[in-house]
Amino acid sequence: MDLHPRTPAHSQSDLEALIPDEAELTAGVVVRPGRSYGFFTDTTLCIGCKACEVACKEWNNLPAETPALTGHSYDNTGALSASTWRHVRFVEDDVRADSQSPFQSGWLMMSDVCKHCHNAPCLEACPTGALFRTEFDTVVVQQDICNGCGYCVPACPFGVVDISTLDGKAHKCTLCYDRLKGGLEPACAKSCPTDSIQFGEVSELQQRARERLDHLHHIGRGSAYLYGAPGELGATGGLEHLNAFFLLTAEPEAYNLPRAPTRPANRVVPSLAAGLTTLAGLMVTALALFARRS
Amino acid sequence: MKSIAGVVTIVQEGRFQLFDAAGVSHHFILHHGAAADPEQLPSLVNRHVRVSYRDSGAMIGHIATDLRAESN
Repeated sequence: MDLHPRTPAHSQSDLEALIPDEAELTAGVVVRPGRSYGFFTDTTLCIGCKACEVACKEWNNLPAETPALTGHSYDNTGALSASTWRHVRFVEDDVRADSQSPFQSGWLMMSDVCKHCHNAPCLEACPTGALFRTEFDTVVVQQDICNGCGYCVPACPFGVVDISTLDGKAHKCTLCYDRLKGGLEPACAKSCPTDSIQFGEVSELQQRARERLDHLHHIGRGSAYLYGAPGELGATGGLEHLNAFFLLTAEPEAYNLPRAPTRPANRVVPSLAAGLTTLAGLMVTALALFARRS
Repeated sequence: MKSIAGVVTIVQEGRFQLFDAAGVSHHFILHHGAAADPEQLPSLVNRHVRVSYRDSGAMIGHIATDLRAESN
């Protein structure tokens, strides 16, 4: 069979070497194992271009969904799934409110992604160890170990992890684990034209986010707040903080985010205690009945 | 069962792209019941293979059920 002349143009990169620490050039951060990396997504800067979605699918070789309008908005991806690891949510807000002309509408745009929780419930629920914490403090599914049990799916308080019915395995954002190992910025953050998605060390991002929040409050955007930063909404129920956190301007529910997510593991001890108490009560009752009869 | 021959150009986990002789790129996801494992895919990059597949209704891609390396 002859090779089509276009084939080499679509092959994997055959560069002899990577640009050393390329993330320093594109995101101003050097990627080193042992440090904690994440995303700060500033939704006030998102223009809904979906470049992040496309970059994610291109880099990870993820198939696109069949184009069709969902009927909910101009967003035709719909939600995060096994084949969509970045999803730009289009939320129509304040529609034809008094503050706007009738022909206008307000759009909230937010690029959603796996939160790479500090205490990740999906990881805690995984019985095979397929979900693991990397040397960059991110959470990744090892495809060759995942047995498709699906325990991680209900464990995730954000509804991120999904099982593919095609290959029977759990899938979610890897925070471009392969790119981080090569010193590259994750594809979505690199492609974001407005820097709505910022990649870096989590502590530095949290500091940057607080400065941005102060600035927004100073210019009169009092509705802005952080979601997933330590001590804020989204970092509740034992999650401590989210490595991928957000700056939002409407209620979390408007973005389909839980107001107070929790770790299912928090409920293990109370559930076990309730079960044992019930068992003990039944035994005492049975013994009392038996003693009375005899 | 449909089948197509071409050159594997990109592999990522259980997903790969195949360029056919007409220069058209096709996207495949390895089915969980396929006669191949994801670990075998990287060795097929830049090799001529024949893929048996079925269409995926919800995605722009195909579900690979069998792969056979062909002589280059």
